[in-house]
Amino acid sequence: MDNFAFFRPTSVAEAIDLASGDQKRDFLAGGTTMVDLMKLAVQRPGGLVDITGIKELESYEIGPGRLRFGALARMAVVADDADLREACPALTEALWKAASPQLRNVARLGGNILQRTRCPYFRDTAYTQCNKRDPGSGCAALEGGVTSLHAILGGSEHCVAMYPGDWAQALIAFDAEVRTRGPGGSRTIPFADLHVLPGDSPEVETILEKGEIIISIEVPVVPAMRASHYLKARDRESYAFASASAAVGLELDGETVKDARIALGGVASVPWRAGAAEEVLRGRTFSEALAREAGRAAFADATPLEHSAYKIPLGADVVAGALMTAHARARAGAKGED
Amino acid sequence: MAQTINTEVTRTDARRKVTGAAHYAADFTPAGMLHGALATSRIAVGTLTGIDTAKAEAEPGVVAVFTHANLPDYKTVKGIYSGGPGSASFWPMEGTAIKYAGQPIAYVVAETAAAARRGAQLVEASYEEGEAHIAMDPAQSFIVGAEGDGEGMTLTKGDIAAGLAEAAQSVDVEYVTPFQHHNPMEMFAATAEWRGDRLTVWMPSQSVRTLRHGISAAYGLPETAVRVISPFVGGAFGSKAGITPYTMLTIAAAKAVGAPVRLIVTRQQMYTVATFRPESVQRFRLGADASGRLTAFEHVEIAQTSQFDEVVNPGTHMTRSMYASPNIHTEQRLARSDTNSGGFMRAPNEMQTFFGLEQAMDELALKLGMDPVELRRVNDTDRHPVAGVPFSSRSLMECFDAAKASFGWADRNAEPGSMTDGDWLVGYGCATATYPTNISPSAARVRMQATGHAFVELAAHDVGTGSYTIMAQIAAARLGLPVEACDVVMGEAHLPLAPISGGSTTAASAGSAVHLACLAVGAEVARQVSAMSEGPFAGVDPAQITLEDGMLRGPGGKSQPLVEALASTPRGEATAEGQYRHPALTDEALRRTYQGGYGVAGPVTPEMAMFAFGAEFAEVRVHRWTHEIRVPRLHGAFAAGTWLNRKTAHSQLMGGMVWGIGSALLEVTELDHTRARFLNANIAEYLIPVNADVREIRVEMLEEQDDYVNPLGVKGIGELGIVGTAAAIANAIHHATGKRLRRLPMRMSDLV
Ligand SMILES: Cc1cc2nc3c(=O)[nH]c(=O)nc-3n(C[C@H](O)[C@H](O)[C@H](O)COP(=O)(O)OP(=O)(O)OC[C@H]3O[C@@H](n4cnc5c(N)ncnc54)[C@H](O)[C@@H]3O)c2cc1C
Ligand code: SF4
Repeated sequence: MDNFAFFRPTSVAEAIDLASGDQKRDFLAGGTTMVDLMKLAVQRPGGLVDITGIKELESYEIGPGRLRFGALARMAVVADDADLREACPALTEALWKAASPQLRNVARLGGNILQRTRCPYFRDTAYTQCNKRDPGSGCAALEGGVTSLHAILGGSEHCVAMYPGDWAQALIAFDAEVRTRGPGGSRTIPFADLHVLPGDSPEVETILEKGEIIISIEVPVVPAMRASHYLKARDRESYAFASASAAVGLELDGETVKDARIALGGVASVPWRAGAAEEVLRGRTFSEALAREAGRAAFADATPLEHSAYKIPLGADVVAGALMTAHARARAGAKGED
Repeated sequence: MAQTINTEVTRTDARRKVTGAAHYAADFTPAGMLHGALATSRIAVGTLTGIDTAKAEAEPGVVAVFTHANLPDYKTVKGIYSGGPGSASFWPMEGTAIKYAGQPIAYVVAETAAAARRGAQLVEASYEEGEAHIAMDPAQSFIVGAEGDGEGMTLTKGDIAAGLAEAAQSVDVEYVTPFQHHNPMEMFAATAEWRGDRLTVWMPSQSVRTLRHGISAAYGLPETAVRVISPFVGGAFGSKAGITPYTMLTIAAAKAVGAPVRLIVTRQQMYTVATFRPESVQRFRLGADASGRLTAFEHVEIAQTSQFDEVVNPGTHMTRSMYASPNIHTEQRLARSDTNSGGFMRAPNEMQTFFGLEQAMDELALKLGMDPVELRRVNDTDRHPVAGVPFSSRSLMECFDAAKASFGWADRNAEPGSMTDGDWLVGYGCATATYPTNISPSAARVRMQATGHAFVELAAHDVGTGSYTIMAQIAAARLGLPVEACDVVMGEAHLPLAPISGGSTTAASAGSAVHLACLAVGAEVARQVSAMSEGPFAGVDPAQITLEDGMLRGPGGKSQPLVEALASTPRGEATAEGQYRHPALTDEALRRTYQGGYGVAGPVTPEMAMFAFGAEFAEVRVHRWTHEIRVPRLHGAFAAGTWLNRKTAHSQLMGGMVWGIGSALLEVTELDHTRARFLNANIAEYLIPVNADVREIRVEMLEEQDDYVNPLGVKGIGELGIVGTAAAIANAIHHATGKRLRRLPMRMSDLV
């Protein structure tokens, strides 16, 4: 690891000041992505601006019309929130199934959504080709590499790295927004716009500007949240990234689907909303066959790579299975209200 | 005196380990010590055309950067597969040749570990790159050991074609197992300190005698000038047995800089600087008559090896020991690829071969329409199928019957895919486990004091298995002392010879030496008390006095506690050594062991075949939507002679089964074929089971008496538990889904 300067601001303004300008400085939250990549010499910041001293960013509220999560709320704390579990089970389940208890205790929500790919070629500097790490150098994964962990949706000929996070899928499914502040002022970014497709510049992963800090993540409450579910398929029962996952939510009118939300994890280059699959469901009578049809529709445009073709049938089944649980929850909720 | 053998005794070092008071090799810091770090090769095959160390040398804190061009007095040893103590025959940094990715190319010494690692990252190398293949090509395999050369590597008994022709049913199947790495929790480390011509090496090791013998020979020093210290080992599983380049480089670097140097190998580098489990293909042709009796048994094993060694772990020797068959053919083959040399990994000959054999038996049972347990029963045998000698003890079917009952096998509907529970498909499967009883020569010294304490000294190792505890138990039982009063000193090369901690030898072999040393202490005390003018044994012929469980007994019903007798002698202390050698051990094997090598009697001697047995039953669940494979229940019953410590033995067997879950469902070292590199060299992406993957594991330990194996009647159990697990799980997956998975690991991607 290179030597680096270390700063501990206590206010947002101070943090922005320290991270803006010409120096190579990055924010540090829990550090579970950042320090990991520094040890691997993949990220080599000249300075770290540790924002964990800014206590006001730790709070979160589960309001009746809006959920608000401070960027420094801990994964473990929010995962355990009983009100949130009732309001939107997909949001707690996606946190619960991420990483390990130790990591969840340390990692923060802002850092979580900005976690970086697990592409093994990105993480090991012995591979000289990686457009994300070293723009223009090529892509070891696409050039004869192992692509079993790579994206079948949203990739480009320059990079097929997969976005590995879980929570982001539940956020994108429910139209979350991200509040930020930076040298140029404050703004609100639809979560779906935060991450950008790799295209021909995979080194650019978000629209955040230098020195722009995430203040909070907010989600408007909709009925489909109550009957939501996050289903994560992985070979290891815990402490493993998704081979395929789905965050889904349903709002039913009798057995007719009024609103459907579907997002896909473990399969795409960015957090991925499956709009076409949602369309399959809306206005139709729910059934297992319909759930399977939606699952297939979610992957209609997928491009299998050499080693990731299994993700298409797997992902389709995971979407269908998640919808079955969401449907059961919607039915149980409807009974509860009767 | 309370019974100390065949009871549950908590590890004597447990408290020290959990409080941090147990010092592992890398915890020793000699004064003035510097830190080492390795830089490794990016390419797999080729030549180093240039190496620029200027940036590394300029890094603050860096003291020296060594490469092939400037490391004086770097010594190497012969590889283990050429009869030497080294982990491989090829030694990096002797020249510019690159033979595998991740091969050391430079050694940085610095004032801090961080500066050394930074320096290593700054070493710049250029290469002329050659074509490389990380995976073997089974079509290019070659046979090891010609038929009838006396070694028995390749072997034919009867006529396979005839056996298959008369079979009512047969299977002809191939199973594939991947590269796997040991991943011990404790990192590889070595600390070297020279004082003039005397050298001390601290290093986690499964064989301190191998290290000392090899290092002293390489440097032309007497063995007395080399100390090797390895008091605790945080897991080894076969990875810490041979002498590796990282050790010899550290020794040379310490000499060159004139200060002690410690190297801690990084997790990623641990995948390439030492050994691993080679990938393999297991081919089986089995034929059986209508009653299930085998008429033909053929097993061809193809294992991966490096370009410079022939890494043979003859798994066919184990499979052909398993079931009776008039016609047997086995063949051991190797195929080369561009890696470092593989080696042994927990159950090195058995894990992959029994994944094959025990699935092939299951496939055969299905074809015959037979219960898989009954197929094992009709093929059970009390004589070794090849050698014809009887088994010294064989409780295979007792194990099956016990595990079958505890598991509830009777509830199984034999039809594949017939059992479900909500969204889960449910399957039951079973498999045989076996492990050879390898008996090494060993020595031990016991010094007993009149205060009721004893030192037990031997160059054995506790690789995390509980060896300290069982040695104390054996001494306590023989000398009539509490376990806590027996202080066991191990893990140093100058102590009396004990075997390499490998092949599950330690308890049986070193334990027997401790037993004999205690009897020798009894004889020594008997000699002293018989020469005294008073006391119960005054004037008694010492040859008439025996030691039984802490009591000296003589003619005419005379008896006295050993500790009392000792207290009556003027010295108040007695020391004796025990030398254990199994009667079937050859002089050659004895010599090899004393020269730091691996020499054993068995598992097949001219009189007997010595094996431990077990049966494993798995319940598997496969999720309807996610296709995830889970193992809610695993039951094993085992028989392995005398249980010394029911608690640590239980842990060993359970630990083996946990590892078996990993082998079955998770573990694989992934390969980048284009760059010929191991891809997932870290324990985030190399998956091993976590707590949530391990649900109910039940271990039954059956009683078995075996007077032939050794004076204690002990068989090794360190590796037994893993042997049947993967096949039991595979058979259960087939039962749950109707799909036969013949490649490890078995993952959800195989079931979509
Ligand atoms: C072994 C392992 C397994 C894992 N498994 C999973 C898993 O199964 N599922 C899953 O979802 N995740 C998993 N993770 C990822 C883990 O969840 C993330 O590393 C973690 O959430 C990141 O949070 P952090 O606070 O540690 O971020 P940091 O490492 O501190 O920061 C990450 C990035 O975000 C930036 N950043 C942080 N906060 C802000 C802010 N407020 N504004 C602007 N930029 C900011 C940092 O500059 C940095 O670039 C795993 C990680 C590891 C190491
Ligand atoms: S997929 Fe992307 S991150 Fe991976 S090697 Fe290619 S460019 Fe790099």
